[in-house]
Amino acid sequence: MTEKVGYLSPQWRDEAEKRLKAEITPEKMNYLTTSVSYNYTNCPDGVDKYLYFKCVNGQFAEVGVDSGEPPKTEFRITGSYDIFSQVTQGKIKAQKALMTGKLKLKGNMVKALKLASLADRINKVLVTIPTNY
Amino acid sequence: MSTPSQNDPYFIDFKNRVTQIQDAMASENIDVYLGSRLRTISWISDAFCPWRSYVVIPAAGDPTVFTFVIDAARVTDDSWLDEDHVLGYAPMGGMDQITLISEFIKDDLGVTKGRIGIENGMSNYLPEGNLTHYEYEAFKAALSEAELVNAHQIIDRLSLIKDEGTINRFREASRIVDVGHKALKEALLDGGWKGMSETEIAGIAALAMRRSGSEWEWSFTGGNEIASGYRTGLAGGACTPASRRLLKEGEPLMVDIHAMFKLGLGDHSHNYFIGKATERQRWHAENFVDIVSLTLKSYKSGVSPSSLAEQMMDFAEERGFADYMVPGFEHGIGMMGDEWRIGMNDGPFAYWTNPDHTYHSGELLICAMQYACPAEDIGFRYENPILIKENKCEPLSKFPLKIEEIY
Repeated sequence: MTEKVGYLSPQWRDEAEKRLKAEITPEKMNYLTTSVSYNYTNCPDGVDKYLYFKCVNGQFAEVGVDSGEPPKTEFRITGSYDIFSQVTQGKIKAQKALMTGKLKLKGNMVKALKLASLADRINKVLVTIPTNY
Repeated sequence: MSTPSQNDPYFIDFKNRVTQIQDAMASENIDVYLGSRLRTISWISDAFCPWRSYVVIPAAGDPTVFTFVIDAARVTDDSWLDEDHVLGYAPMGGMDQITLISEFIKDDLGVTKGRIGIENGMSNYLPEGNLTHYEYEAFKAALSEAELVNAHQIIDRLSLIKDEGTINRFREASRIVDVGHKALKEALLDGGWKGMSETEIAGIAALAMRRSGSEWEWSFTGGNEIASGYRTGLAGGACTPASRRLLKEGEPLMVDIHAMFKLGLGDHSHNYFIGKATERQRWHAENFVDIVSLTLKSYKSGVSPSSLAEQMMDFAEERGFADYMVPGFEHGIGMMGDEWRIGMNDGPFAYWTNPDHTYHSGELLICAMQYACPAEDIGFRYENPILIKENKCEPLSKFPLKIEEIY
């Protein structure tokens, strides 16, 4: 795939799901069952959006992008479109964005610690999608 | 997550404790209790929380402890609360203690308005853990529609009379302290004391107690307190972290050691002379042993700190050693973090023991006495957890009361 897709567009979602399922094995996800939503504020079109992942036994069961109220998830990360897009482009690390308060986490921090490296693995895949931000 | 059996002698019914708190909250129109004192955290979670921690008690259901994220998994492992009720805070977006707790109260408990009980006050005990001014202001801003009200009296009242599991934990901690004293005495005898420092003495006792299951030498006064020579007689000096001072023949030695067992606290002092005591030193020692014996005979239900102090100081005056007695005979004690003040905050000086507090059966306190004669470089200390009973008290540490000469 060389053609760029719009960030958080349906095409981007499809590509993200395809790459995540292909490149991240259940073993790499530690056979984890969890769910997380990334909640984007200040989007360019003025509509708040969310990116949603659900993993069952380490397999990506659902990858969703939509607007409105995100589904109930174990973890919820909230931040501006600008910050999330920088994270997805690999310009800043998610952990740094959290530690500087640019992203806000909701959920059990102790459990989240176990997921920090997994979030990096997901991001390394998302960064490979040719994307228009 | 720890799940002790009800047949365990150290079993404490924490669910019942929480229900009692919730009943008291209801009667005082408190919707949520936000505890921050170490004594409150210990009493509710059954886990030692050395980092700044909080406990949020809803109107119904289990409480949630918030502690520094690096220790949250260990606290969960020690506590009866599960991992969803011990949450870690951290310097991250949404995870700092103020945001995490205030959003938990608003979003998870659904309390945005109403009355939130907090713990405010002061203490001479360093790790008391009242809400700081900054925390108070930050919670007040984050929970702007709620009213923060001081409510520590709920915990103080409910934790005053000890249940059987708590008492047994204190008994075991005292048994461990006695093991420490025995090991130390054996190490001192037959010239073992020669070249020994106070810090080494503290360590010998600590090793023996740890071998017997003590979790740590819990006191914030420096762990095991050891004083030799002039340090035993510092004026009013009931706080002597061990120093590097070496023992010397002809001097007194005071050994005040501490053990912790399941947040129950052992605290017992024993006194020695290194080598043969002079007649004058023996006179001081007999004074002290006699007043300790009389004090232990006098503690019972119905007595107050002031009535006991008057009786004991009269005895000391009659015998001619009142000048050497520190006129206080006890301090409070409870599960880890509950030290010093006895009873409720209802005395003439805020947050100090009410001298007219009347003891009741089931109260635990430390019988704590200090004899000090700085001019003669001599002093003694007695501390022992005692359980108040109807017509007597039960000293929990059983190490024999005497002041021995060590050769």
